[in-house]
Amino acid sequence: MKARQVKGLEPEGTLGDNAERIVRVRLDELCSFMPKATDPKEVVALHDMRIAAKRLRYVLEVTGPCFGPYAASAVKLVKDLQDLLGEIHDCDVQLPEVDAFLHELMEEDAAVAGESPKGLAKAPNRRAYAGLVALQVHLRARRRALFEQFLELWRDYERKGFSARLAFAVSERAQSDE
Amino acid sequence: MAKQTDIAVDAFEPFAVAGARIVRRRADELFAAEENVLDTTDIERVHDMRVASRRLRAVLEIFAPCFPQGDFKTALRDVKALADALGERRDPDVHIEDMEAFERDIQATNRPGIDKLVARLRERQARGNETLAVALEHARESELHARLHSLCDGALEALT
Repeated sequence: MKARQVKGLEPEGTLGDNAERIVRVRLDELCSFMPKATDPKEVVALHDMRIAAKRLRYVLEVTGPCFGPYAASAVKLVKDLQDLLGEIHDCDVQLPEVDAFLHELMEEDAAVAGESPKGLAKAPNRRAYAGLVALQVHLRARRRALFEQFLELWRDYERKGFSARLAFAVSERAQSDE
Repeated sequence: MAKQTDIAVDAFEPFAVAGARIVRRRADELFAAEENVLDTTDIERVHDMRVASRRLRAVLEIFAPCFPQGDFKTALRDVKALADALGERRDPDVHIEDMEAFERDIQATNRPGIDKLVARLRERQARGNETLAVALEHARESELHARLHSLCDGALEALT
């Protein structure tokens, strides 16, 4: 996913002002995936939301100390969201890979088994099916559970005013210790 | 876990000054994580270097307007290529680890299928290691580390 362009960045301007512009764009980008990503079939939106979370997290990790105190709390919240979306993405990547691998093994066996059911006894991959089917079931179940956790996490963020609080925090400037 | 050193920042310092300091540090962390990264018996090394590459890429993108654009684009492209190569090695590492954990929790009759999948993943891991070796060599030959430092110098010079 191509990142939204941040306009008006000035190398000679202050870090705080430039970082504020970046965080606002990245926060808006993250929130733009809702409500689309509440549909478990929206694999691409979920993946893109993970990338958006990653971009927001990185800018906050680096520039968070410039802002109000909520920016530091937001780093952990965004990381938790990114991790959860990452686990969902892992299932979305692994499932088709396992499907394709099982299909490949079955094709190999079909090529040698012949027309009689007795031919299955000499199929080289016959003992592999059960484990791979179990893995398919496991990945589907895990994906389902993780998606529910994601919905609950986002609801919790909304309930606690995550977006508005972060937007306010980046309008504040922390004073330097020196 | 990859070490990320905290870098002090001041909200009121110039954007380019902060960018030069942060990119320089993240570049140093990336190349400090290079040692023994091709060792497939210690998968944490490639993980650490991949995390460092992501952090470097992220700060390059954040501070992009501060750098001389021609050199910046080439350096960013090379950092992305290295990060992708690290991913090609790391992804099967993680998948193998997951499958070995899964195998411990399932019945013995289900294990042959997972063993076959792990064998396939080890082939991918070996190919990923070859890709990574080429990418590391390219980074060395093209003096990527020095070019990143030079970008940081350029960002500071443009301010004066």
